[in-house]
Amino acid sequence: MASDLKVVGTTARQGVRDRSRSRTLLRPPSFEMRMMAPALLVLAALSLLPFLTLIYMSFSEVKLLGGLRFEPVGLENWQRLFTDPDVRASWVVSLIYLALTLGLEMLGGVLVALVLYRITRGRGLVFALVLLPMFLAPIIVGLLGRFMTDYTIGLYAWVLRGLGFESDVLGEGTTAMIAVVAMDAWQWTPLVVLITLAGLTAVPPPLFEAAAVDGAGYWQTLRSVVFPTIKGVLLVALLVRAMDAVRFFDIITITTNGGPADATKIIPIRLYETAFRFREIGYASVIGLVMLLFSIILANVFVGVLGRKGLTK
Amino acid sequence: MNRPLQMSRRALLRGFGVGAAGALAYAALGACGSDGGNAPAAGGDPWKRFQGTTINFISENTAPSAAIAANTKPFEELTGIKVNIQQMELTKLVENVSLDLSSGTAGYHVIYADPYQVLAPFSDGLVDLNEFIGNDEFPQPPLGLEDFIPSQLEAAGRFLDGQKLFALPYDTPTMIWQYRADLFEKYHDRMADDLGFDPTPSINITWEQYFQIADWFNKNAKDDVPYGTGHQAKQHDSLQCDFSNVLWAYGGDYFAGGQQLGTLGTKEPGKSTLASDAGIAAAEFYAKLLGIAHPGSRTWDWDGVGSAFQSGQIAMCPNWHEFAAGNEKALPGKVGYAPLPKGPARSANIWGGTGIGINANCSEAERGAAWLFVNWATSPDTQFMCLASEVGGGTPTRTSVYQRPEVEEAKKRPSKLPNILTADAVNEAWKQENIGLRPKVATWNELDTALFTELSRMIAGEVKPDAAMRTVARKFDEINKV
Amino acid sequence: MSETPTTLGGRSPVARVLTWVLVAIILAWTVIPLGWMLLSSVKPESAIKTATPTLVFTPTLENYARLFGAGNDITPFAVNSVIATVTATALALALGTIAGYGLAHWRGRGRKHLAFWIISTRMAPIAAVILPLFIIFRHLGLLDSVAGLILAYLSFSLPFAIWLMSAFFADVPRSIEEAALVSGASRWQAFWHVVLPTVKPGLVTTGVLCAVFSWNDYAFASSFAGPASQTLPMAAGRLITQGGVDWGQLTALGVVVTLPMIVAGLAVRRWLVTGLTLGAVTAE
Repeated sequence: MASDLKVVGTTARQGVRDRSRSRTLLRPPSFEMRMMAPALLVLAALSLLPFLTLIYMSFSEVKLLGGLRFEPVGLENWQRLFTDPDVRASWVVSLIYLALTLGLEMLGGVLVALVLYRITRGRGLVFALVLLPMFLAPIIVGLLGRFMTDYTIGLYAWVLRGLGFESDVLGEGTTAMIAVVAMDAWQWTPLVVLITLAGLTAVPPPLFEAAAVDGAGYWQTLRSVVFPTIKGVLLVALLVRAMDAVRFFDIITITTNGGPADATKIIPIRLYETAFRFREIGYASVIGLVMLLFSIILANVFVGVLGRKGLTK
Repeated sequence: MNRPLQMSRRALLRGFGVGAAGALAYAALGACGSDGGNAPAAGGDPWKRFQGTTINFISENTAPSAAIAANTKPFEELTGIKVNIQQMELTKLVENVSLDLSSGTAGYHVIYADPYQVLAPFSDGLVDLNEFIGNDEFPQPPLGLEDFIPSQLEAAGRFLDGQKLFALPYDTPTMIWQYRADLFEKYHDRMADDLGFDPTPSINITWEQYFQIADWFNKNAKDDVPYGTGHQAKQHDSLQCDFSNVLWAYGGDYFAGGQQLGTLGTKEPGKSTLASDAGIAAAEFYAKLLGIAHPGSRTWDWDGVGSAFQSGQIAMCPNWHEFAAGNEKALPGKVGYAPLPKGPARSANIWGGTGIGINANCSEAERGAAWLFVNWATSPDTQFMCLASEVGGGTPTRTSVYQRPEVEEAKKRPSKLPNILTADAVNEAWKQENIGLRPKVATWNELDTALFTELSRMIAGEVKPDAAMRTVARKFDEINKV
Repeated sequence: MSETPTTLGGRSPVARVLTWVLVAIILAWTVIPLGWMLLSSVKPESAIKTATPTLVFTPTLENYARLFGAGNDITPFAVNSVIATVTATALALALGTIAGYGLAHWRGRGRKHLAFWIISTRMAPIAAVILPLFIIFRHLGLLDSVAGLILAYLSFSLPFAIWLMSAFFADVPRSIEEAALVSGASRWQAFWHVVLPTVKPGLVTTGVLCAVFSWNDYAFASSFAGPASQTLPMAAGRLITQGGVDWGQLTALGVVVTLPMIVAGLAVRRWLVTGLTLGAVTAE
């Protein structure tokens, strides 16, 4: 349970430490390689092949009807990327969406974790209930969101009307954005809670006592003792959430599909539409590669953070 | 100018009229129908040739497909072919058809080929049905192709080439004015006094008056209904449909070719005319109308506005006439139907009929089996079955069905065939001067998206109507590279 | 051990009441939509379609019955979902476990790059992956097949499993393995009989998380799956029809899709944090 969570070092580092010791005894070094080989082959087929295909397609016009054909078009698709205001607009929407979901989830997650950390009775049950949304399919989260905010029959729409909010939540750009952000936050704040609690549990209790002896108040203790200790895990939480927020687009697909007025048309929705509604596979590949670049940068930061010693301890 | 609109009086009047000759013809040829084992089988039952095949039919989640899905037994008994019906929302359908036709194999054998979103962009992926028509090895459409309403055969079945036939007309939804007859009756006199005209819905009401009626309901009838009008104005194909009615009524159109591009379509539509004075006037009115519509309008497609109407949220709306069956279930006897209001130019009622065709990636046996299904599903008997279905099917694409006595009778309440209650309105809407046809061009999905996205911005108040129409026109020209 | 944490923040009655008020708000935010879904799934249609929410109604299982009813049976969807999820998970786990061990202990020069490559495949945006996979699957005839879905799920489950298992293996003291080696076991035997049993929680956690992500997938399935391979989340689309959205059945479907994942997920909640941070934060 939460209380036995402990933050420790990670994969990459753990191994490094006992390198010197193990070398001597476990001589044939290729055993590890042989263990990795099958998975790496499969993974290469599943990732490098698509990656190369994507690059190839980005320089082609892809014809699908009546036999698959690639016609080279040089840099045409790439040139278009830099002059397409719609794609630029989608990136802006994506960044807003990212900033809002991450902001809400981090802030909410930390607050909830601080509250949950305080309770002793019924902690297991409360904790389990809080985790539930993470296990839902995003598509179900979206549908449920639609159901709850349906103007005619939705429970939340009814509550909002009672509070004097007369419009349809998904009908206005701003509120639709807030709604899809809230749905994502509903689903994934629990993850941040989970990670933060793990971090909190790792704070040695004597530190609290020392702070109490010094006469530090709650906020002061948070600032001077807690946050410095859990900074590392929070960064991990942020990165994990950021990468997934770029990955998924199911919730928006099923609720607004980018509308109203393109207010929620994040970049994956634009990509999907370009590829499968307009059948401009080549251009969609360019959009995809840029997305990939973005997530590789994030992953790079993630791995970099992991590699830094003393992060979580 | 007249040619494409042969959804002509002659055919349509014949359609809804009593046409004795047609009825006779039906009686004589009725045996060719696809009922049960009564197949037209002379020497080796051609209906049984593909026994044991399984085919998949991908369809929009429309009423006729619901009706057929609920009753595929007769087809399976007739042919020994198993048919799976996959129904989905139109946007998803277009994506899935696009994916499937692109896949090089046939996941779906029979395809619901929306003339604009599927047929025009993907005609290369569909079988030319002339392969079967006139070929003795295959059963022929009962009563022949002549029994299809001619202009619908052209609009739903052909693209660019007048010879090739890619689909047979399967359904024929048309947008009309649906209203709460009970409330109009209750408030008739007060409304007439306040507004200074007779508000009874008819083709003689103008859009401006429609606006006033909606506004009147908003202000005076809150106890009965929260809002006067509702619209399918989600950022979706439905928004384009809803707006088109107004666009044409105001004398605007997509391209200089106008309504003529709605049947055979064109490869070169030329520059868009959406930013014309008429187009901008239409956009201005539409923005104003949506300003007083039910706030849910911006999240509704046709299904959304349909449920809102049925659950008593709005007093009236333009919607596909096929929703009549659901209306009659939810509000029995309380709903009335009329052609849409007119603008400065005319009353325009968008036609949303669709044909079903065959995936060209099919194997031989699947092709044959798919043809049997296409033939069966569009036959007069099946069309009648749909009309009479408990789950509220569509209205027939076959002239002869309208001439059946039980169909005639159903025009009056209580009706066993509730969709036929719309007959008078639809009959009027189908007249050449009232029908609204979108242009059929291969780039339609992009054009459609550009239009409804910009309209969505306009309704949200982000752009002014004139700027919106200019942007759309510019995007059209970019997409069509003119 | 778990008695200490409340030292953060006061123990005054006010603080306690405040804490519970906040807990109540948090629970309301989390649980109400789920409860409403569950409740609506046993409501008759008339009780769902009301402008004012209904709490009093005669419960019915009609929505669930109709989910499995003729002409609308979701069983084939469920079968596809189970086959795709179980197979993809089993493969990811099998390959990922041995590779995870390899990654944890391999000291080659490209180690960092290899680790980075593996993680980046897990993080690749789905939309950008679908596109080339679609073309490749089309070429190989894998569209509309459960096999295609399994491969698609492997594309994110496998790197996830490798990375996560390597985190678990890294925590196993090498001494126990060395002891086995000294007593004459081969590397494989030492791995199989000695090391592997110590990471059972890791195996279960990895398996559950791979399964959850595959089971919950919509984007891949809706792009690759056709009539022969549709999965449960795709069944939802059929319930939005011209007759209105069938919320009764949709909520019932939501419960059917969700329940197994909740059970599985809570079963491994002790290790969830390790799993979901890919080993960056570890529980013991």
